[in-house]
Formats: sequence, C-alpha cells, structure tokens
Amino acid sequence: MDLSQIFNVAQLANALALASLLTILASGLALIFGLRDVMNFGHGALFMLGAYLGYTLAGQMNFWAALVIVPFLLALVGVVFEYAAIRPLQRRSHMDVALVTFGLALIMSQVVIMIWGTSPKSMEAPPSLAGSFNLFGQPYPAYRIFLIAVGFGTCVALAAWLKYTRSGMHVRAVSQQPMVARMMGVNTDRLSLLVVCLGTGFAGLAGVLAGPYLSVDPGMGASILISCLIVVVIGGLGSIGGAIAAAVVYALIQVIGTVLSPTLAVISPYLLLFIVLLWRPQGLGRGRVG
Amino acid sequence: MSAAPSLAARAHTAAPAQSPRLPRLMKPALIVAVIVALGLFVPSVLKSTFYLGLLVNAIILGIAAIAIGFLAHQSGLMMFGAAAFTGSATYLFAIAVTRFGWSAMTASLFTLLAATLLSALIGALVVRARPLPFAMLTLALAQMLRSLVLITQFRPVTGGDDGLALTFSGSFLGLTQSELAKPASFWPVAWLALCGVMLLAWAVGRSRSGRVLRAIRANEERMRFSGFDTYLPRVLAFTLAGFIASVAGLLTGLHTAFASPELLDFATGGNALVSTLVGGIGSVSGPVLGALLYVIGQDQFGATGHLELLTGLGVVLVIVAFPQGVMGFIHNSVARLAGRGARAQGGGDAAH
Repeated sequence: MDLSQIFNVAQLANALALASLLTILASGLALIFGLRDVMNFGHGALFMLGAYLGYTLAGQMNFWAALVIVPFLLALVGVVFEYAAIRPLQRRSHMDVALVTFGLALIMSQVVIMIWGTSPKSMEAPPSLAGSFNLFGQPYPAYRIFLIAVGFGTCVALAAWLKYTRSGMHVRAVSQQPMVARMMGVNTDRLSLLVVCLGTGFAGLAGVLAGPYLSVDPGMGASILISCLIVVVIGGLGSIGGAIAAAVVYALIQVIGTVLSPTLAVISPYLLLFIVLLWRPQGLGRGRVG
Repeated sequence: MSAAPSLAARAHTAAPAQSPRLPRLMKPALIVAVIVALGLFVPSVLKSTFYLGLLVNAIILGIAAIAIGFLAHQSGLMMFGAAAFTGSATYLFAIAVTRFGWSAMTASLFTLLAATLLSALIGALVVRARPLPFAMLTLALAQMLRSLVLITQFRPVTGGDDGLALTFSGSFLGLTQSELAKPASFWPVAWLALCGVMLLAWAVGRSRSGRVLRAIRANEERMRFSGFDTYLPRVLAFTLAGFIASVAGLLTGLHTAFASPELLDFATGGNALVSTLVGGIGSVSGPVLGALLYVIGQDQFGATGHLELLTGLGVVLVIVAFPQGVMGFIHNSVARLAGRGARAQGGGDAAH
C-alpha cells in the first residue's frame, strides 16, 4: 500500500466532512459546558431529533426549508431545556445535572422512536447538490463539499461572534472565570439562555446536514454522542477552538485508520483520548478543567 | 435546645470507651450473621422460579451498583463505564473456559485475579483525572472493549456479534453448570457473594483508609499538604471497585453461561449506574435497594413496551426529588423521626 492511497485529496475531504459535522455538534456541547458546567448527554438525542425533523420537513417542503426551520425548532427545545432542567438544577453537582440530561436523552430518543418508528430512513441530497464535483481532477460528491463549507462556515461565524461582539466577549469571560464575570455584572442567566439555544440549534443543524450523509436511524444519536464527548474532552472542556482542532484530528485519525486497518480505526479514538488526557489533563485548548 | 443533641452525641461516643470493644461489636455481628443465614433459605420460601430469577438478577446488578456507589462515595468518581469491568470479567471467564479449557473453579479464580490486576493498571492511569474526564475515560474504555470484541479478526476468541456460549467442565463450589443455571441452586452463591461484597465495602468504608479517602475527596490539596499520599489510596479504591464489579461479571458468566457484546454496552453500565443513583450512594445497602427497585421496575414496565422511556423518567424524577437516593431519603426520614424522639427525651431529662 503506497502513501498516495492514504493521503489523497478524497480522503482528506472525507475527513473534513466528518470533522465539520463533529465541530458543529462539539462546539454546541463546548458552549453549553463553558457557560453552565453542564455536560449535556442529551446532545446526541437532540441531534437525532434534528435529523428526523429534517427528514419530515424535507419530505413535505424541501431540504433548504428544513435546513432553516429545524435549527429554530431545536432552539425552542433549548429554551425548554434551559428553563425546565438547567436553571432549576444549577445549584446541584455537575454529575447530577449530567445524569438528568442522560435521563432526558433516554426519554427523547424513545419519543422519536414512538413518532417515527425504528426502521432507518434515507434522505436524499437536494437536486442541486446530488451530483459530483471536480475536486483537483477527481470526482467527489458535491453534498460533502457543501457539508464541509457549512460546517466550517458555521465555525468561522461562531468564532467571529465570540471575538467581535459584546455578548461573545461575555461568553468567553464566563467560560474562563465565571465568578469574576458575574461580579463584573455579566448576566449569566440571560447569556445561558442564548448559549443553550445556540447549542441545541447547532445540534439541529448538524442533524439536518447529517441526513443525506449518514443514515437516519434511532442509533445515530448514541454513536455520535460518544465521538462528540471524546472531541470535547480532547479539545479541552469548554474550549471552542480546542474542540474544532480536536474534531479535525479525530476525523483524520478515523478516516486514515479505516484505510490502514479497521482494528486501528475502531480503537484509535479511545487511545487518542487516553493519551491526550494522560499527557495534558486539561485537553488541547485553553479551556477549564471540569 | 441545641445542647441536648450534642450531649447525646457525646454520650454516644463516650460509651464505647467504657465498655470493652468485643461485646459492643457482638450484637450487630450476630444480627448480620442471622440475616446472612436466613437469606440462604429464601429459595425454600419463594417457590416461584420466575421471581427467584428476578432476585438473582437484582443481586448481580446490585453488586455492580455497589462497585459504582463505593467509588462515588469514597472518591467522588462516577464510573460511567462500569460495563467495562463487569463485561470484561464475563469475557475473561468465557475465554478461560472455552479457549484454555479450564475448569469452572480455576477459570473463576483466574477471572477475579486478572480482572483485579487489570483494574489496578487502569486505575493507576485514570484516577488522576477530575470527576468528569474520569467518567468519560471509563465510558470510553467500555466502548473500546465493546468495539474490540466485535472486530472480525478476534472472532475466533471473542465470538464477535454472536457472543460466546459456554459449556464448562468441573464444578464451582460443588455446583455443576446446569445447577448454576437454575436460580434456586444458584441462590446461595449469589447471596453469599452479595453479603461478602457488602461487608467488604462497608468495612473498607469504615476503616482508616475509608476516612482518608473521603478526606481526599473533600479536599485533595489539603490532604497532600498534611503529608498524606493522595494517589495510592485512590488507586486502591478503584481497584477494589473493579474487583467488586468483576464479581458481578463472574456471577453473570456462571449463571447465564453466555458472554455477549451487549454486556459491554453503555446501556448495561447504565443499568447499574441508574440503580446506584436511585438507591443512593451514601450507604452500602442503597445501591442494592436501587438494583432491586430497578429489576422490579423493569419487570413491571417491560410489559408496557416503554421500558426506556419510563427508566428515563424515573432517573430524572429520582435525581430531582431525592438527591441522596431512596436510601438516603429513608435514612434522613428515620433520622429526623429519631432526632425528634431523642430531643423530646433529652428535653424531658433536662426538666428533671
């Protein structure tokens, strides 16, 4: 096996496609964690809900409508989540809240199964993106290019918001020094509502985007949740930049591992997690230690 | 008003110093021995194989829950991937029986030894992590083992998707395979294992090491400054939790004679985790009560077809309403009632 088989443009693009999906999800997870210290185990279920809503809306209207509406619907779920779960429980230990989100994830995935059933659904890419695209001389599915563009576009927008706006600055302040930020007059509750809505909305966006890329089935939430948690922990809890970097590293290892040996692909994410946490317990980014 | 309870407390602590140590322990020890002995006769009272089987399942789940509760209470570390330890013990037993062709007894000893060594090694690596990364690490460990078991190249050893069905030679404590599979004849093994594990966890929790561990949980930095080694005790606690979990895994292997990848699934660790939380981590009996409630609930809800939905609701309700679990709630209520009684009595004494 020569190296060109492993490191070619198509493989790199595959890795970036997976990474963009993971970054959208992981940045939402990291945002919520940074602000509220809540490890949201329901993120996978929200992602699944987004994918199923996207499937239904894309069938009734079209893909583009779903791509706009579903994130808003999920942001509404985020409002409920913030008021019903996070705010009443903010004095409780992190572990308690994490377990409540785990319970909510169980409930949510069962509700999805009740509505849509257990059989996998397939979702077609929109006609304008159904073909393939000429990527440096090789044909490559246009939808994946679109996925990469949206994924990294979202990240750039998020980074710009965090860096150049007042509310973004407050989010960064609370993530780094919650007490000091509060003393300086940052309204954590109001900010948290915004951030939780953004996080759940991102989960919805990722769900719709994942529809034509992965299959829409009841197991999709649980399997991606583990990857996302690994990415967030490797990136440094609460650090957005770290999460993005970790998602790219994770996806590269996953894709290259699949080509080299399936055994390696299966265990490499966990090995990566172990190595990073033992070498740098705070993760790659400049987040706080949970 | 406030003087009375503290006086009572002083009297309580002063009493052991006056009376010799042995007779003081005699009464509780006798009660425990009687309960253990009475427990052995459960199968002759409870004739239904179905309900006895349910109880055996509760015991196995309860032992895994004790492992989680022990570590959570003593070290503040929540093992999300307890399945890694229960499941790997079942697989170790299965592999020892099918590949090495060892007898049940040898394979069991090997399983406990190997699983304990394994958890000591893993513990040495992971106990440095803070609680949340720790939870992730154990969860990732369980997922990794599950993926490893399913890899096609390892199929001859692990059985892949199909799992491993066991037929073991020899006897385990005088019981053959068919006897171990029956709840009634398996009962003494499970019951004694449960009692042993509970006593072990209780004794370690009450010992000096237990106090050191809880002090480290409360403030690790201060303990380090006071000259205590804060690393080794946590590794030991983790190893003990791993050992207890492996007992649960071994019992699964002996009873069901089957090792499936499902055992390493997050859901399996989740069952034990939910039991622990429902019961409460503050005591050794809490997780066992939680496991019993969980198994009963599973039996009741299973018929409705909404098992996971109701489990999710149960988890949320219990965590929100009973922060210390059902056992903690019972304990607090009893303490409150007893406190009221003691205060009334104390007030009466003061009046005299």
